[in-house]
Amino acid sequence: MTSTVTEVFRRRAEPGAALADDADVIAAACHAMAVRFHRGGRLFTFGNGAAATDAQHVAVEFVHPAIVGKRALPALSLTADIATLTGICAGPGFEDVFAHQIRCLGGPDDMAFGISPDGRCGNVLRGLETARGLGMLTVALTGGDGGALAGAAGHLVAVRSADPRVVKEVHVTAYHMLWELVHVFLEQPEVLNREVVA
Amino acid sequence: MLYPFLHAGGADLDTLMEDVRRSTKDKVGDIVRLRETVLEEHGADLTACAARMADAFRSGGRLFTFGNGGSSTDAQDAAALFLNPGGSARPLPALALTNDAAVVTALSNDVGFEVVFARQLAAFGRPGDIALALSTSGNSDNLIAALREAARRGMVTVGLAGYTGGQMAETPGPHHLFVVPSSSVHRIQEAQTTIYHALWELTQEAL
Repeated sequence: MTSTVTEVFRRRAEPGAALADDADVIAAACHAMAVRFHRGGRLFTFGNGAAATDAQHVAVEFVHPAIVGKRALPALSLTADIATLTGICAGPGFEDVFAHQIRCLGGPDDMAFGISPDGRCGNVLRGLETARGLGMLTVALTGGDGGALAGAAGHLVAVRSADPRVVKEVHVTAYHMLWELVHVFLEQPEVLNREVVA
Repeated sequence: MLYPFLHAGGADLDTLMEDVRRSTKDKVGDIVRLRETVLEEHGADLTACAARMADAFRSGGRLFTFGNGGSSTDAQDAAALFLNPGGSARPLPALALTNDAAVVTALSNDVGFEVVFARQLAAFGRPGDIALALSTSGNSDNLIAALREAARRGMVTVGLAGYTGGQMAETPGPHHLFVVPSSSVHRIQEAQTTIYHALWELTQEAL
């Protein structure tokens, strides 16, 4: 296969535009996240490989907003502590690397945000299941048909592409929107006591 | 106004939900169009830059990536993609200069944050290596200093910026500069992710 720059960009167009179809899911997830932040909940983000850098990007977005005047919100990437990561991998194992941290750090008011471009990362799945067991809100970004993550998260955005790099690019737009819209809801506390009708 | 009910007394949830849905659709449209603009403005230079990077790797060059905040995560993603691409793609030597908290805090504490990347390039950089600087504003002092250090060492210099390119666009500037013409930090970062993915894919293709 020969890739030209035009072909590389063309491959992004359709999955990029299709994110608009998830506007309902994104809006509902943001409302639910704003409710949790309003109650003092914290956001834990996690993923493997490229998605580990996305997890850190999401965390810094909330902790230190690039838009002046937006309040700092508590968010922590479970990929950032290399001592803990390598410690868990050397002990219980890689499958437990996020679940362990969620068990120790998380509580029922908190939120888990898992990113897996193909939906098949076992440790992300286990992290979400553990979070759900604790009563946490669960949000997942995935690709393709959502894979095993499809049933594991309360709010799920699945990017319909098999190219992990295209999926990642659409995820970046999705989490930028999530950050922005969480603040829209947080700035209207009177809507945070209301249920979203799906 | 984008979110009119933020300023009215007492928001109505249904209306707010409809507003945020429309905002998502509008911004999705913005990034799709922005990528088209980037291709029109930079397509030829992206191909040329990837050919130059492939030449550098062929001659034993290594890639160093760096940025601040959200762009530091992109720098780490770019380095990891070159180093460990998976599948049949060829792994290439790449290092993100934000990975090591000991080095970053030592330099910031002892000298200053503006040297945090330049000093690492002084330690690691050789002629023929590649420096990839990622910034949304194009104005970060530590990136400008690092690009200058890289140029002094005979490295290939590549810059990603937004808005109108900021200081990064001032002469002499990097060998390849990709300015994403947008004033939204978020849309700039989304287009930059596509740019470094394209550079990786075209570099693999050229090798």
